Amino acid sequence: MAMNDEHEEAARPDDLETSPEELMAMLAAIDVDGALQETAAAAVRATRREVLRSALPLAGAMGAGLLTAGAASAAGGLTANDTAILRFDLALEYLQAGLYTEAERLGAVKPRTLGFSRVVGAHERAHVRAIKGFLGSKAVPSPSFDYRGVTADDAAFVKTAVAFEDLTAALLKWQAPRFDSRSIVAAILTLHSVETRHAAWIRHIVGVLPAATAFDQPAPQNQMAELVASTHFVVSGWSTIAAKRKPGFMG
Amino acid sequence: MDSSIDRPSGRSRSSFLRVAAGTGTVFVGSLVFGQDLAASDAPPSAAQDRRVFQYALQLEYLQAAFYAEAVQRASLRGELREFAEVVGGHERAHVAFLKKALGPAAGKAPSFDFGDATSDAKRFGAAAYELENIGVSAYNGQGAKLTDGALEQAAEIVSVEGRHAGWIGTLLGKPPAPRAADPGLDANAVMAQLKATGFLG
Repeated sequence: MAMNDEHEEAARPDDLETSPEELMAMLAAIDVDGALQETAAAAVRATRREVLRSALPLAGAMGAGLLTAGAASAAGGLTANDTAILRFDLALEYLQAGLYTEAERLGAVKPRTLGFSRVVGAHERAHVRAIKGFLGSKAVPSPSFDYRGVTADDAAFVKTAVAFEDLTAALLKWQAPRFDSRSIVAAILTLHSVETRHAAWIRHIVGVLPAATAFDQPAPQNQMAELVASTHFVVSGWSTIAAKRKPGFMG
Repeated sequence: MDSSIDRPSGRSRSSFLRVAAGTGTVFVGSLVFGQDLAASDAPPSAAQDRRVFQYALQLEYLQAAFYAEAVQRASLRGELREFAEVVGGHERAHVAFLKKALGPAAGKAPSFDFGDATSDAKRFGAAAYELENIGVSAYNGQGAKLTDGALEQAAEIVSVEGRHAGWIGTLLGKPPAPRAADPGLDANAVMAQLKATGFLG
């Protein structure tokens, strides 16, 4: 089949009609410890603010608004282990959100890549808000990044996106059984499968097999740290996060 | 490859449906299934891992049979054919993995009725998109109930289901990643969606 040239159109999320009730049901579904439900009503209010504020894909913003507000109440109960893992994930989501947002703003990549960036950028920004919500007061500020022209160079950009999406999916797989909180496990799994969708999508754009194997292997955190280091995207602020990791955590 | 994946086993077509009945304990072949799986508050245990894997095996039987029939019947061409062949191979591998993990207690393959969904490319694509997205929801709905080892194995599978869903989305011009988070569905909700497809016979 010829590559579909309507990705940009096709990529637009179509679940704008997602109701607050559905979102509350989603929160309830991931709330295996029962710790998050009390803030569901507040989460829906946040959701409505997101709808008014943002013209970007709403589904992501809505889902994240919910996750953020809902999970915030659980942050006080996070173990040191879970906090360390989530801080790493937050830094990684900052990096990816910044990457896609800059590509979207510059508008220099090919239309199909731009369509991907719009949707995936909104998702990664939503993941930032969600993970900040999990961490609550233990969230870390964003490092500063310099994407070194990658966001305006289609070939370099898609190659970078494939690397980050594939490895983020592998990282979340490695982390999932290592969280102490089952609520966090459930929530991370809902983000994990979205990263695998992103990986398949950008691989299709690049022209490589979107699903190359029947089982996707996990990859430890040090592999992601190596990828991040290899890009030289981080100007400052990452080492602070790394230093807050629990000693001996690195895979 | 296990021939039961490709050929109906002769079991009652209603066997899968009874999983969705949701009242009391439900038997599917040797599989005990039903409310105990729908309940989300049981702590992880080896017994619960087996229940979840039995459920996953039924889903994988369904997907594997669907792709096997579509490759035979649907006159697929180009990348859509590649998709069906590659993904069908993955689903057969998932079946094999889960059967091995469950050992002699592994549930048998029910028979399915895919109707027109495997008759042409357009219907095949729409059904594949639906089945892959249901699969992601189903795994995400169970993951947190698993012990750490089983969770890692299930994550390796759902990761590939998510890729399938993204891939078929790009091929059809449908959203490859419709939401920022993929909500999990409990077994009853999944069964309701599967029942609505009509594939359970």
